Amino acid sequence: MARKRKRPEGDPPALEMTPMIDVVFQLLIYFIVTIKPVDVITNLDVFRPAPDPNAPKDEKPPSMVRVGVFQNGYSLGLGADDNPISLEGLERQLGRLAAVNAEQTIMITVSAAAEHGKLINVLDLCAMNGLKSLSVVSAAN
Amino acid sequence: MKKKYPDAEMDMTPMIDVVFQLIIFFITTADMDSKALETKVRMAMSPHGPVEEVKDPRTVVVDVDVDGKISIMQTPLSEGQLLAILKKAVQASGQGTPVVIRADEMVYHEHVKRVMDLIGRAGLWKIRFAALKEKA
Repeated sequence: MARKRKRPEGDPPALEMTPMIDVVFQLLIYFIVTIKPVDVITNLDVFRPAPDPNAPKDEKPPSMVRVGVFQNGYSLGLGADDNPISLEGLERQLGRLAAVNAEQTIMITVSAAAEHGKLINVLDLCAMNGLKSLSVVSAAN
Repeated sequence: MKKKYPDAEMDMTPMIDVVFQLIIFFITTADMDSKALETKVRMAMSPHGPVEEVKDPRTVVVDVDVDGKISIMQTPLSEGQLLAILKKAVQASGQGTPVVIRADEMVYHEHVKRVMDLIGRAGLWKIRFAALKEKA
């Protein structure tokens, strides 16, 4: 049986802490420098109606709220015709609509040349107002 | 009870070494999941979007970059390849498989439309758009 080496009297056994603390600090600095915070990502739900080849062109369902997204702005159609509107105006109008009926279907028609960010802006406004029933339609032009 | 070896003490150093190794191992492997989804896609901000607590493990994430190039997990795909992948996803986990489109803020809608049309053609209907809720 191996016998332990006798320590000199009066020398208390102690674990050398200094190198360990050094290493811990090195690790700490390494991770603080390398870890970058993660972005919080949200997913916006939409419905995409299947294209119906038999559907007549240019027929607008009258009961739907229509939001148009174009390269140079937005439009809103509540009644018969669609009018250009700013994003702030759209925010107000959608807020008013949601207060009346949050189940309201919003039909978002996106022009091919519009940036995706604009669509996300509209979807964000709908999410802010609790509007859940959103269909995204791509316009031909 | 009297100790047999009053001088005996546990050597902590190897244990601490191993613990550090484990910590480093787990930190580096936990990071890999987010690395796979890291792209050059700059997503639009949506501060009011809902936060998803439970993520559907079947979710397919399709990236569309600023030039309209399609990729999944940093693998560039042609339209035909994407359609094949989506069809396989339908076979494996049904038509309710959610598809998340992570499109660049500045990409034209026509490129997103192409992806949405392919998703529709594969028979999937659960389409969502990814956006940034909070920028870190």
